[in-house]
Amino acid sequence: MKCEVVLDPTLEDKVVVYVKEEDHLTDEIKRLVEGHQAGLIGYHDKEMIALTPAEILFITVVNNKVYAVLPKERLWLKERLYALEGKLPPYFIKINQSCLANLQQIERFDASLSGTLQVRFKNGDTDYVSRRQLKTVKERIGIYYEQNG
Amino acid sequence: MNKTVKEFLHRGLLFGGFGPIIVGIIFAILDKTADSFSLTGIQILIAIVSVYLLAFVQAGASVFNQIEHWSVPKSLACHFSVLYLAYVICYLVNNWIPFDIRAIFIFTAIFVVIYFAVWITVALSVRAVSRRLNQKIG
Repeated sequence: MKCEVVLDPTLEDKVVVYVKEEDHLTDEIKRLVEGHQAGLIGYHDKEMIALTPAEILFITVVNNKVYAVLPKERLWLKERLYALEGKLPPYFIKINQSCLANLQQIERFDASLSGTLQVRFKNGDTDYVSRRQLKTVKERIGIYYEQNG
Repeated sequence: MNKTVKEFLHRGLLFGGFGPIIVGIIFAILDKTADSFSLTGIQILIAIVSVYLLAFVQAGASVFNQIEHWSVPKSLACHFSVLYLAYVICYLVNNWIPFDIRAIFIFTAIFVVIYFAVWITVALSVRAVSRRLNQKIG
């Protein structure tokens, strides 16, 4: 694939990729661009790590602190959950008062015997869909998978 | 304060007020339809307070289903026991059932049937939702 950067101060910053079909590279480019737009920075000890939204399984609140959960680690985020909600790509949905789930990282939904809907993520972590969010979750999943297959 | 206790109190405070509203509506219906319906001030006070507490406990007890480290039988047993105690005490203090073993036994049987009917209905509907969502996410 050829790569060309056109410098034109009169134009809006935009990445356009011409390909015959989408592949691993186009996915990676999308992730990079989305990550850059979201501008997410995670903290681990004194380390600052730039995050791409697609690699985050879910964002959760524990003891009033917001964490991005990745497959092998969890990073502290300085933003509040409501601020992140508007900043993240549409495949992030609020499933309860303290969790934003990445639809692409959900392995499956389970009906628990206690009557709640459990979400199992690809790393094995689970969380629940609150009754208040259930209608929105169903709608958002329907719309997202209609548009993205 | 423990997170679960805090959530219990939060839910209880949010929905407790619905109890007295419902009991007020029932009293109004009885007043309009029953031949002789009358209550003393003390009876009304007991009804309002006890039904507020009943609604408080009913709303708060839903938190038992969301304690992740509890097994399903444990959360179900706690939820059932707390609700059963709240209902039976509320019905007894209001004289809605007589303080008699046979009456309490019949009340218990009805409570068990309704509780599990509601539980099975909710479990089946959640299972149907999870199946639909799993089909969508492939």
